[in-house]
Amino acid sequence: MLSRAAERVYWAGRYLERAENTARIVQKYAHLLLDLPSEVGLDWAELVRIVGAAESFEESGLPDDESAILQFLLADPKAGTSLAFAINMARENIRNLRDLLPHETWENVNELHRFAADNLGQAAAGTDQFEILGNCIERCQQINGTLIGTMSHNSPYHFLTLGQSLERADMTSRVIEVAATYIQQNERIIRRYGSTLWTNVLKSVSGFQMYRQYRQPQVIGIDVVDFLLRDQAFPRAIRFCVENARKSSAALPNSDHVCNALQRVQLELLGSPEDDTSAEDIDDLVDTLQVRLADVHLAIVDTWFLPREE
Amino acid sequence: MKFDSTEYLVGDFYDELVQSDGAARKHARSLVDYFSNMPAKELLERQHAADSTIVDMGISFTIYSEGDNIDRAWPLDIVPRVLSGTEWDRIEAGLIQRLRALNMFIDDLYNDRRIIKDKIVPADIIDSSTNYLQACKGVSPRYGVWANICGSDLVRDGDGTVYVLEDNLRVPSGVSYMLENRNVIKRVFPSLFRDHSVRPVSEYPTELSEMLESIAPASSDGEILEVVVLTPGIYNSAYFEHSYLARTMGVELVEGGDLMVGDDDFVYLRTIDGLTRVDTIYRRIDDTFIDPEVFRSDSTLGVPGIMRAWRAGNVALANAPGSGVADDKVVYSYVPEIIRYYLSEDAIIPNVPTWRCSDPAHLDHVLKNLPELVVKPANESGGYGMLVGPHATKAEHEEFRALLKANPRNYIGQPTLSLSTAPTLAGDTLQPRHLDLRPFILQGKDVEVTAGGLTRVAMRAGSLIVNSSQGGGSKDTWIVEDMD
Repeated sequence: MLSRAAERVYWAGRYLERAENTARIVQKYAHLLLDLPSEVGLDWAELVRIVGAAESFEESGLPDDESAILQFLLADPKAGTSLAFAINMARENIRNLRDLLPHETWENVNELHRFAADNLGQAAAGTDQFEILGNCIERCQQINGTLIGTMSHNSPYHFLTLGQSLERADMTSRVIEVAATYIQQNERIIRRYGSTLWTNVLKSVSGFQMYRQYRQPQVIGIDVVDFLLRDQAFPRAIRFCVENARKSSAALPNSDHVCNALQRVQLELLGSPEDDTSAEDIDDLVDTLQVRLADVHLAIVDTWFLPREE
Repeated sequence: MKFDSTEYLVGDFYDELVQSDGAARKHARSLVDYFSNMPAKELLERQHAADSTIVDMGISFTIYSEGDNIDRAWPLDIVPRVLSGTEWDRIEAGLIQRLRALNMFIDDLYNDRRIIKDKIVPADIIDSSTNYLQACKGVSPRYGVWANICGSDLVRDGDGTVYVLEDNLRVPSGVSYMLENRNVIKRVFPSLFRDHSVRPVSEYPTELSEMLESIAPASSDGEILEVVVLTPGIYNSAYFEHSYLARTMGVELVEGGDLMVGDDDFVYLRTIDGLTRVDTIYRRIDDTFIDPEVFRSDSTLGVPGIMRAWRAGNVALANAPGSGVADDKVVYSYVPEIIRYYLSEDAIIPNVPTWRCSDPAHLDHVLKNLPELVVKPANESGGYGMLVGPHATKAEHEEFRALLKANPRNYIGQPTLSLSTAPTLAGDTLQPRHLDLRPFILQGKDVEVTAGGLTRVAMRAGSLIVNSSQGGGSKDTWIVEDMD
C-alpha cells in the first residue's frame, strides 16, 4: 500500500471522527446550558476550550458571544477546529481515495458536505440546531457503517481505524478535562447540579446509557472519569480506543515502534483513582495522556508515511 | 438509403458508412441494414441504455470550468464507425512506419544530429522548438525508442484519402474511452457482434503492460518489475484514464509525492512496507513538470531528481522526456522526408499539405489565403489557439494576421479539410456528423497498433470540433473483416 494512500485514509478516519464528535459536543453543550443557572459559571467560551479552539478563537478577534462562537465552531470553513472544516477535510481525503474506498463512501461524504454547507450557518444562528447537528452525526455514522460493513479489513481499513481511534481518544481526554473542572466547583453547586453536569459529560461522548447499565445508579464525578479513562468495553473510553489502535497497528508491517508508543499510553492508565484524587491529578494525567497520544501519531507518521532509505 | 423512413442525406462530404448515391458501403452493409430497420423509438431507447450504462460504469471525464472540477458522463453515440480490414491493414502499416521513423529521428536529434548535418531538417527549427530539451542530449533509451505511446490523429478528406493530422507523442489520452466504448456497445447491441467479425481491442492493457516492462532498465532483466502510472492527481482532466489504465494493468497509480530518488540515483516508491524500487514509470505529466530540479522549479507534481535517475539509465520513463520535439507542428511538415531519410521508404499515409510560416514564401501564401486555411500554433493541443479560416470572422482573421507576422515560426497553415462524416443520432434521426480517428501505437521492443482507435465526432451539424472538452462526442470504432 502506498504511504500517501495510507496517510489519506488515516486522516479521513480522523476528520470523520472529529466531525461527529464536534457536532455531538456542541449539541449536548447547548442542551446543558439550558438546564443550568448562570451561578454555575458555564458559558459558551467554555465550549471553545473543550474543543481545543481557545487559541485560534482568540486570534480571530471575534467577540465571545453565543452567535460568534457557534459560527466559529460550526460554520466557519476556514477555522481549523470547526465542524465545517472537519467535513471539508474528510471529503477531500475521501475524494482522493475513490479508487480505494467503497464508492458509496464518496457519495455519502459528498451529501454530508452539501448538507453542512447548506445548513450549518442556520444551526449556528440557533435555528433547528439540535436537528441539524443530529443529522450531521447520523450521516457520519452512516459513512462509518458503510466502511465497517463493506470494506475489506486489511491495510487501508487498519489505517482508518487508527485515525479514528486516536481522534476518539483525544476527544474523550478533552471531555475528561472538563469533568475535572466541574469537580473543582464548590460543594453547594455540586450538590445541586452535580448529577446534571456528569450526565452531560457522559452524553457528550454518547456514554450515558452505557455508564448507567454497567456502573452504579448514581452518576458520581470520579467514577465518570474512571469510566471514560479505563473502561474496557465502552468504545469511547480511552483504554478501549488505545487497545483498538494497537490491534490495527499489529496487523500492519513494521509496527513495533507504534505498538510501543501505544503501550506507553496504556501504562498511564494503570490503577484506579482514589476518592481523594484531586482535579489537579486528573489534569496532570490528561496532559500526560495527550502528550503520549501525540507521540503515537508521530510514530505512525514516521513508520508508514515517511519511509526512508535504510 | 433510409433510417426509419427518413432519408439519410450524405452531404458534400465523404461518409464512412454510406456512399454518395445513398447505398451502404460494402464493408458497412449489414450494419447499415441493421440500423435502417430500427424504428426511431428503439434507437432512442438504445441510446438511453448506452447513456445509463456509462453513468453506472462511472465512465467520466473532467472539465475545469470557473474554478470547479466537474465530472461529466462520457458522450458516446451508439452507431459504430466502421472501417474495412483491408484499408485498416494499410493504415496500420503506415502508423508503424511513421512511429519507427519518428523515434529514429528523436534519437538522432539528441545524439548525432545526422539529419541536420545532412540538411534534411534545418537546425533552427529544432533548436528553437520549446520541446527540444537540452537535458535530454546524449541519452539513448532502450531500443532507441523515445515515444513509446503515440496517439496519431487521422482524418479523411472529401476524396476518401486518409491523412495524419498530427502525431501526439507527449501524453496522448483517450485509449480508456476506446476500450469502454466497446464495452458499452457490446452490452447495448450484443447481437450485432455475433453477426459481424469485429477485431477486438481488449488486449490493449496487456500490450501496454508488456511494452512498459520491455523498456525497463537492462539491469532489472530477469527480476520482478515494478511499473507505475504517474498522474498529476484527481484534478487532471484525464484522471479517469490514469486510474483506469493502472487498474486494468494491475499496477500502482502514483503521484509525484509517492516517488523519491535515492542517493544511488534509483527511483523508489514510498509504501507502508518501506521503499520499493521502480523500473518503469508511465508518466502522464508534461515534460516541464516532471522534475523541479531540471525544469519548472515550482512544479509540485513531479519528482526531484528523476531526470538524474533517467539519464543514468536507472529508470525508464514513457514517453521519454523530450519526445515532444517531434510533435511540433512545424516538424510535422517534415515527416515524409524524415521517413524517407531513415527508412528509405515513401510515407504510406500522407501528411496534410502544410505551409510553414517560418518560410517567407509560405507565410505570404498563408496571409493571402487566410479565409480558406486552417492556422495552428506549433505547440498547442486540444484544438486551442487555432483559426479555422472559413468559420472565422473578419476580426479573427485580422487578429491572426498580426499573430503570424509577430511570430511566424510558431505557426503553420493547412488547407481546410472536408472531414468525413458518419450517421450519428441527433434528436431522433440519424444525421451525418464530422469525425476523426485516434489510433494508439505502442513501441518498445515491438510495435503494436490498436485495431481502430477512438473515433471522436462533432455533435453539432457542420461543426468540425471533436474535442470532448468542447462538446464533442465519440463512437465505437470497428475494423471488420472483408467478406466475399
